[in-house]
Amino acid sequence: MDCQDVKTYLMAYIDGEIDSQKKSEIEKHLSGCEKCIKEYRSFLKLKEVTEKMKFTDLSDELWAGYWKGIYRRVERSAGWIFLSIGAIILLAFGVFQFFKEFFTDPSVSLIVKMGVGAFSLGIIILLVSIIRERLFLFRTERYREVER
Amino acid sequence: MMDEDKELIFQCQRGKMKAFKTLVEKYKKPAFFVALGLVGNREDAYDLSQEAFVRVFRSIKRYNPEHKFFTWFYTILSNLCKNHLKRRGVQKSHLENIDLAQDVYSPDVILEKNEINLRLWEEISKLPYEFKEIILLKHFHEFSYRKISETLNIPLGSVMSRLYYARKKLKENLKDILD
Repeated sequence: MDCQDVKTYLMAYIDGEIDSQKKSEIEKHLSGCEKCIKEYRSFLKLKEVTEKMKFTDLSDELWAGYWKGIYRRVERSAGWIFLSIGAIILLAFGVFQFFKEFFTDPSVSLIVKMGVGAFSLGIIILLVSIIRERLFLFRTERYREVER
Repeated sequence: MMDEDKELIFQCQRGKMKAFKTLVEKYKKPAFFVALGLVGNREDAYDLSQEAFVRVFRSIKRYNPEHKFFTWFYTILSNLCKNHLKRRGVQKSHLENIDLAQDVYSPDVILEKNEINLRLWEEISKLPYEFKEIILLKHFHEFSYRKISETLNIPLGSVMSRLYYARKKLKENLKDILD
């Protein structure tokens, strides 16, 4: 084993994640290479220092409230979904009523009805196209959790 | 443990809140501490780890049971933390024209506030994201190489090399206190 091989397996050696054969090969190299033993010792020192550092725990009160916080968020998002569904239904009904009255109104000229009809159809086609594209991206986008 | 998670997730997919609560209770501590290491302060870590669970709940039907739950969860949490740091960096650079904020890496989260620990925490905060996450998973969460490989979705060889370069960088930055 040369210095480059030791470099490859040095972390696994330090962390005890190496098989016995490689371990003895590394030890053999380290016993005769001053440069590698120096590097090994400095990594070992770093490991000792980092292992001593610990994080403080949260208070019991905060841990007790952890689930409640998640539940509230899930509950609120369900609330928003129902609110949105309700709003969409009411809006769709309102739009339907408007068009029904508009197109059956004899006082409105045919040309205006055709204009409004074509304009509305265009908006519907564009909306459907955008929604379909969004749905396709949502189903196939691997990185949707990553905000850009 | 795996089978227990699979059963819980199966129950969650059927809308059982009790199963989701059990899943949260089981993973809330690792989730919080992973986030704490990545974003550096308790408030953000608490909020982001909770948000990760909410996202898990919303997308639980898309979960592939062939993968380990924590691996999937870690990806969601890590992405949230990454985006949070990015936003924080952008806000900070708009305000003061300096790079990532060390001031939000709170020393309060360290149990023993001695000079070495405080310096180590400061240097960890300055590491590039992928170095930081591998150092945290190895040293503070005591993950095995296999578990790191599964969690980060990288081969075992990459775990060793990434850990080597991350530790090398950290070692160089801490040269004065390690000598």
